[in-house]
Amino acid sequence: MNLSSILLFVISKMNGQRTLNAGLHLLRGKKSGQTLTDVEYFNVKPFFAILPKLEETTYTKAIDKLLDSGLIIQNEKFIKLTVEGNKRVKDLPDFHFRGWDYRGREMIFFGRIALLVQTLSYVRKGEFSFNPIQKDRDIQIFVKMLLERQPITDPGFAKKIGEELKMALLKSGMSDIQKYIFACRLTGSTETAKTWDQLSSELEMGTDALRLQFIESLHRLLPIVEDSAEFPFLNKMAFGIKVHSYLTDSAMHTKRLFDQGHSMASIATIRKLKMSTIEDHIIEMAMNDKRFPVTHFVSEELIHAVVSKSQELGTKRLKLLKDEFDTLSYFELRLILTAYKEVD
Amino acid sequence: MDLKRILLDRFGYENFRPGQEEVIRHVLDKRDTIAILPTGMGKSLCYQLPGSMMEGSVIIISPLVSLMEDQAMRMRQSGEKRVIALNSFLPYSERQRILGQLQNYKFIFISPEMLSQEAFGRQLNRMRISLVVIDEAHCISQWGFDFRPDYLRIGDFLKLKGRPPLLALTATADEKVLNDIQQYLQMEKPIVQRHSLDRPNISYSIVEVNSPLEKTAWIKNRIAQTVGPGIIYAASRKRADELAIELQLEGVAVQSYHAGKEQDDRSIIQEQFLNGDLEWICATNAFGMGVHKDDIRQVIHDHLPPAVAAYIQEVGRAGRDGHPAAASLLYMPTDEQTTSYIIQSDLPREEEIRYYHRMLTEGHSPGSASELASLTETGKRVLDYYMEHYPLEEILLRLHGLSNEKNEQLRQMVQLVIGGACIRQRALSYFGEAGRNKPVECCSICGLDHVNWLYDKSITKSAEEKVSWDERITNLLG
Repeated sequence: MNLSSILLFVISKMNGQRTLNAGLHLLRGKKSGQTLTDVEYFNVKPFFAILPKLEETTYTKAIDKLLDSGLIIQNEKFIKLTVEGNKRVKDLPDFHFRGWDYRGREMIFFGRIALLVQTLSYVRKGEFSFNPIQKDRDIQIFVKMLLERQPITDPGFAKKIGEELKMALLKSGMSDIQKYIFACRLTGSTETAKTWDQLSSELEMGTDALRLQFIESLHRLLPIVEDSAEFPFLNKMAFGIKVHSYLTDSAMHTKRLFDQGHSMASIATIRKLKMSTIEDHIIEMAMNDKRFPVTHFVSEELIHAVVSKSQELGTKRLKLLKDEFDTLSYFELRLILTAYKEVD
Repeated sequence: MDLKRILLDRFGYENFRPGQEEVIRHVLDKRDTIAILPTGMGKSLCYQLPGSMMEGSVIIISPLVSLMEDQAMRMRQSGEKRVIALNSFLPYSERQRILGQLQNYKFIFISPEMLSQEAFGRQLNRMRISLVVIDEAHCISQWGFDFRPDYLRIGDFLKLKGRPPLLALTATADEKVLNDIQQYLQMEKPIVQRHSLDRPNISYSIVEVNSPLEKTAWIKNRIAQTVGPGIIYAASRKRADELAIELQLEGVAVQSYHAGKEQDDRSIIQEQFLNGDLEWICATNAFGMGVHKDDIRQVIHDHLPPAVAAYIQEVGRAGRDGHPAAASLLYMPTDEQTTSYIIQSDLPREEEIRYYHRMLTEGHSPGSASELASLTETGKRVLDYYMEHYPLEEILLRLHGLSNEKNEQLRQMVQLVIGGACIRQRALSYFGEAGRNKPVECCSICGLDHVNWLYDKSITKSAEEKVSWDERITNLLG
């Protein structure tokens, strides 16, 4: 797994219907109407925001690699797979990301684990002085509160947490290399963690690929411990990591007004926002709520007509659909495609 | 008063380190004091001991949150539990809780921006304060290399209080900085307690070369033949990375360290250096503060530092354990230009200042305005303070002055390197010290014969065995 293979997969999902930068916005987790809509249309939620700090040059390099090896081609502005690319996609491993749920916050989860493990590794030997591996104050305070009134000097306590961690890693389905990377990023009195550069030369893998492995491993571990009494400590460590509201703050604000019965125009006036922004918010709401009343906006017949046309043409490109349904606005078309995605 | 007795009873030390006892006596006499002590000479005892004897709390103002928490932690480890570190990074509820019971703490570490917070001021007014300590006091001086505009607020704050004695602590201060400390803190006839900044166990060498390639070759050769642990200071992140890779290829246990690395990796590298997994670090000036490693044997400068004070501070990280240590500086004539360029690009230029000012008056937020004017972090910090206090033209004048001053400091540094005089004495003369005894291993100007200890390299190459993931967790947690 590396950036190129993930991109190949994402491009296969968006096949021929999106431009070069759509993938970048997706991996970075851009919260714009277009990206949020894409996420839903093309079933790429798992990859949303898995690399919040992805640099454009890194991205471009990975794309160039795919172009050079003839797996993708750029057709006008759109990117699509070649025949060779299509074959290759079938050989890709299964990805287990859950970007939509975690959006980079898995690193906070790991930060807590790392600091907890470091603390216990010292304290169980009676050493109370060490340089905390985590400088983030929120993480420090979280771990401190978690350990309050716990028997931290009891070696049995550390051992119990160690057992829990091992069990959870086994149950998570992480690959061997992922478990190894995970353990190597832990530090303490007897073992010092390894940097990405060091792991890279040891495992003969690029640092980007390593990081992706690591992120995916956390996305596998988190769901295992989230709703489980089996892993009481890890369960607490995962507190507040999963995104609890999938709406952006601004869309949330719009939703409150909408729920009070305001029209879109009225919301735009109250919030002093452009109509197109409010439209994005409505799309976001529809995306996150299966019972969203789409029929407030478009009739049932039109919805059916659009959905079956989209299937017939095998496209989600708005431009093509707009040609077929001239009376509908782009917003209405987007809304329909968003809300009735599960039809396909 | 038998201070030695107290030292032994409460702290378990037989003797004071040089300078400590004098400072403590001045403080107990309630005199304003400026103490200039080299790093690693036990500055904290200078307030911890008198503080524990005086009624009321001690306020310690510290420039860096990490430094402050580090100091508070060390004090707790030494058995003093009535310690708290208060800064604006604490969550609101936590801060409120601490504020409510502030009088229960004997030693209160704060960051300077806390001073402008009303709730904190109110609370302080109800308490008895025995002493105010200003740590790293040189940060108050705009001539210093790490000027902290927030420090200037200390003066305003002290005006409000019927004030307790002040103790200003610093490891470096030339006359100019000393004047600034006195003036801005409005100290009354302070006693200046100066302990020599000389570190007799460190020898200084200047190595002249002609190209970066020669520098790399010299460093490779040096590290193959001489002992670590050591730090190589480079001018840029790129150069630090490049040197680290070159050395790794030679099989040296080395990593680069700079602000471009992610925080976790930085902590890991620091940890590996402390416990000996790494022998060398190639770093920018981001590495050093808060690193407590006593047995650093060598500091190598691959570049020309911007000021003598900065150089002495970096070199001073070597040999804290009192054993011999070696400082080497590689120099080629174009280095002056390179460093000058770095200094000047750190300072905001006139058009940037004007632009920033205009953006602010047009109602942009300071954050976006500074981005638009492409200001550096430091540039913004300095400008923000000035803009509160002076009109635009005055600011331009001041920054012009600052730029000249920085050039002057660089010129002094160049003189130190090419002047041909004893490096130790010349460096000390910048801090107003003169005529001390020279150690045998003094500097390359005075002549360094073959320094035996440097080449006493024991080969301890242990093949690292691979530990599996579950073994690692067992090793850590049992």
